[in-house]
Amino acid sequence: MTMRRRAFLKTAAAGAATIPLLRTRARAQGKAVRVGYTMSATGPYAVGASITQAPNYMLWQEQLNAQGGLAVKGEGRRPIEFVTIDDRSEIETAVRFYEKMATDDKVDLMLPPWGSAMNFAIAPVATKYGYPMIGPTAISGKFKELALPYFYTMLVQPEPQMQAVAALLKELRSQGKIKKVAVAYVNDLFGIELNSATGPAFKAAGLEVVDTKSYPLGAKDLSPVLRGFKAAGADVFVGLTYPPDNILATTQAKEVDWNPAVFFTGVGTAFPFYRDRFKGAEGVMGIAGWNPKVKFPGAKEYFDAHVKKFQKEPDRWASAFAYASLQILERCVGEVGLDRPKIKAMLDSTEFQTVAGPIKFVKGENVATPGMVGQWQKNEFELVWPKTWSTGTAVVPKPDWA
Amino acid sequence: MTVSPTLLTDVVVGGLTTGGIYALVALGLNLQYGLMRVLNVAHGEFLMLGAYLTYSLHTGWGVNPLLTLLITGPTAFAVGLALHRLLYARLLSGDATESLESRSLLLSFGLMFVIQNAALLIWSADLKGYSYLAIPLRWLGTVFPANRLLAAAIALALGAAFYVYLRASLTGKAVRALMQEPEGARLVGIRTARIHALCFGAGLAMSAITGSLVSMLFELTPFMGLPYTVTALVVVILGGLGNMMGCLLAGLLLGLVETAGVYLASSDIRLISSYAVLALILILKPSGLFGR
Amino acid sequence: MLGGALVVAPLVLPPYYRSLGLAILADVALAVSWALFSGPTRYLSLATGAFFGAGAYTTAVVLAKLPWPLPVLAGAGVAAAMALLVGTLALRLRGPYFAVFTFGLAELAKHTLIWFETGVTGTVGRLLLNPPGPSALYYTVLAVAAAAVTTAAWLPRTRWGVALIGIGADEERAETLGIDTTRIKIGVFALSAAFMGATGGAMAPRWTYLDPQVFNPLVSFQTVIMALLGGAGTVAGPALGAVFLGVLSEILLLKFRYFYMLGLGVMLIVVVLLLPTGLAGLLRRHPR
Repeated sequence: MTMRRRAFLKTAAAGAATIPLLRTRARAQGKAVRVGYTMSATGPYAVGASITQAPNYMLWQEQLNAQGGLAVKGEGRRPIEFVTIDDRSEIETAVRFYEKMATDDKVDLMLPPWGSAMNFAIAPVATKYGYPMIGPTAISGKFKELALPYFYTMLVQPEPQMQAVAALLKELRSQGKIKKVAVAYVNDLFGIELNSATGPAFKAAGLEVVDTKSYPLGAKDLSPVLRGFKAAGADVFVGLTYPPDNILATTQAKEVDWNPAVFFTGVGTAFPFYRDRFKGAEGVMGIAGWNPKVKFPGAKEYFDAHVKKFQKEPDRWASAFAYASLQILERCVGEVGLDRPKIKAMLDSTEFQTVAGPIKFVKGENVATPGMVGQWQKNEFELVWPKTWSTGTAVVPKPDWA
Repeated sequence: MTVSPTLLTDVVVGGLTTGGIYALVALGLNLQYGLMRVLNVAHGEFLMLGAYLTYSLHTGWGVNPLLTLLITGPTAFAVGLALHRLLYARLLSGDATESLESRSLLLSFGLMFVIQNAALLIWSADLKGYSYLAIPLRWLGTVFPANRLLAAAIALALGAAFYVYLRASLTGKAVRALMQEPEGARLVGIRTARIHALCFGAGLAMSAITGSLVSMLFELTPFMGLPYTVTALVVVILGGLGNMMGCLLAGLLLGLVETAGVYLASSDIRLISSYAVLALILILKPSGLFGR
Repeated sequence: MLGGALVVAPLVLPPYYRSLGLAILADVALAVSWALFSGPTRYLSLATGAFFGAGAYTTAVVLAKLPWPLPVLAGAGVAAAMALLVGTLALRLRGPYFAVFTFGLAELAKHTLIWFETGVTGTVGRLLLNPPGPSALYYTVLAVAAAAVTTAAWLPRTRWGVALIGIGADEERAETLGIDTTRIKIGVFALSAAFMGATGGAMAPRWTYLDPQVFNPLVSFQTVIMALLGGAGTVAGPALGAVFLGVLSEILLLKFRYFYMLGLGVMLIVVVLLLPTGLAGLLRRHPR
């Protein structure tokens, strides 16, 4: 009797324990789809990776698994399992781990790491093992030169981006709002490519560039550059920056008492952090691509879900494109399954609708998104150029620093 | 390019403000390196910790950043005493003085990894920062930010005060005796281990205080420490190992050289010029600018 | 035995393990060639990043023009030439002064190169198109590592090797004994730099795109950590340190994503406190 009771209790306990298990299974059936990527959790790349890329990967996984997983053609929904490793901001380490994911873990899909330098190195791995990868944080004209068929870029590349800036400035000049432009760029591939695109674009737009200065990565004082621009009478500042030097330039512009009619900076301006850091950053312009006011399906929902999960807003440039790259992958798997050559074929031939608008790849480069300029206005990064995409009108001259 | 009085003011004031920060963080490293031959590559990590502590106290509890110096300094001092007791004392007391340098270097690397990882777990890799006294001061026909001037002034005042303390106090004399004649100092009864512990603590305190000051000027990341360690190392070597006055002057000089490089040529030149000057000085004078 | 295994390894191992082997062999080459000079002389060199970078960048520039492995030899040559120049200027510096001088070298080279590339060639990096295959890279790095180890084992038996130890023990005394210390120091310094340059050159294709950031001071630090951890005074020590650190950090990265640096740091501290002569001390019953 006692024995039997004990056995009964045991079975009951086991039964109770299996209930939640059964529930998760009912939600996400079948074998997990394994998705591999490395992300810089340590080292210098960790800062950018944790803002624009990693949160979107995690959000996507959580959302889909809550619905039962990723819909795979002919197999129903399968839960998503991430195989993710810290590449410690080291390129050699990232290459090795992508090889591991392809040959050892044999993952079903791969997502790219953060940053152009990393993407350069893993693009050949993607191509060699036939994993389509859509890089949401890779900007360089050299990707086209590499011509690796399995690698795709989401973001607007240097030339169209600077042409958009030039077009906006040209219009402002014809309205008599600006005269002289000064350009500062960070001395690495990103800044140099943007700057080489800037020269011809500004020249074609008939803009007068009074000064162009470069500065090294990790600069700790940009006031000499800014003082020089101020003395040259520039009323447009174009800073082709990374986040730390962007914040430094903005801080120091105020400190040297310079408030040009247009203050435009590169990476980082679109971060909510930037807005909060500079009390709204009213009137500051920057490279943009997205904000929650755009009319694309799911944009607002994406914004709310991101805020809910991470208690921080997505940035107004690359974040939405990182999420959109996952939406694209999701649609491909839904329509052609996990057959990667078929996914690639679909990437090459389809125009996708995403939270970041339509995306169309031609030779691996997204050509559907135009270069955009944003401006912080009353706590939102309004898209002010091109007019077909705008959510607001450019305010020039910008108001005084807060 | 003509050198106008305004430009000269810009270079001199800009250089001294940068240099003041360099001098204080280097002074801290010199105490450890010059006295104990402990090349503490984790020195800059304590700067990072000081910066984050100030950030958290200021943004979380509204404590004035300047008041936080009274917290970050003593805390780092206590941590320094503890680290010396737990880790470095064992190496320093051993007989194998020839392997001391390499073993203490490895130990510091270990410490560096641990501290960086801890900061990453506590504060995450997101950029952190705040504005304090970011207001332009007009002076001699040009403008300077109040916070930079203030940070440099505090750094220099602390550096100078410490120098005076070393010259005048009994403990200071013991420290200098140990630096110049370790054997002799031991013979006349100076308690080496105690002085070592104090200097280790004081060195880390200076690093953390510099961090508190730096947090008013720049954005913080868990990986910001190492570049300051490197700069401090350059300054220590320029000024002469164990030479405190040389260290203060070399810090200011490096700040001036870098700023002048930026104004007169371009920003790219800044890093070239500082290392080129270092190389040149060492080639001409192998024991540093103010070394014996 | 070990040699044979290393030669056969890429034929039987899956690609990931071949890549791990490649990375660790590169570290072995760096650590052993560092100890070649810094071990006996006790000059703490932090120039590894500069020589590694010089080799890598040279390879990137000439890769399209020369058949493999000539670009690697070119990298070795440039690194050695750089070492001759630096050695001539810096080898009269001692202790910390030498360490900081050599550390500055990587930064100086990096920023000078950026300045040159942006000003003169109008770019700041090189794409490495049509790189050699993974097996070719593996065997190149294996050859470099083997050459470094062989040299390290052979050098102490030569006149120069004995002289180097003399320099480490008491440089002035060595000079009074009629040893041409300057020539020997510069020679071995350049030899060790050549291996470092070759390692950089052999690893360069792994990046696909290379810019002056390859002059990375962290490489200098990592090399010192590996060599000292293993024990710089021996031939086996630095190699052991490189293998130990490579395998350990790989395991930590794969198993403890958020604590990998913590684990590495604690391990370093423990080794220093428990093994005064480094890992090589474990190999011997009675440490010196």
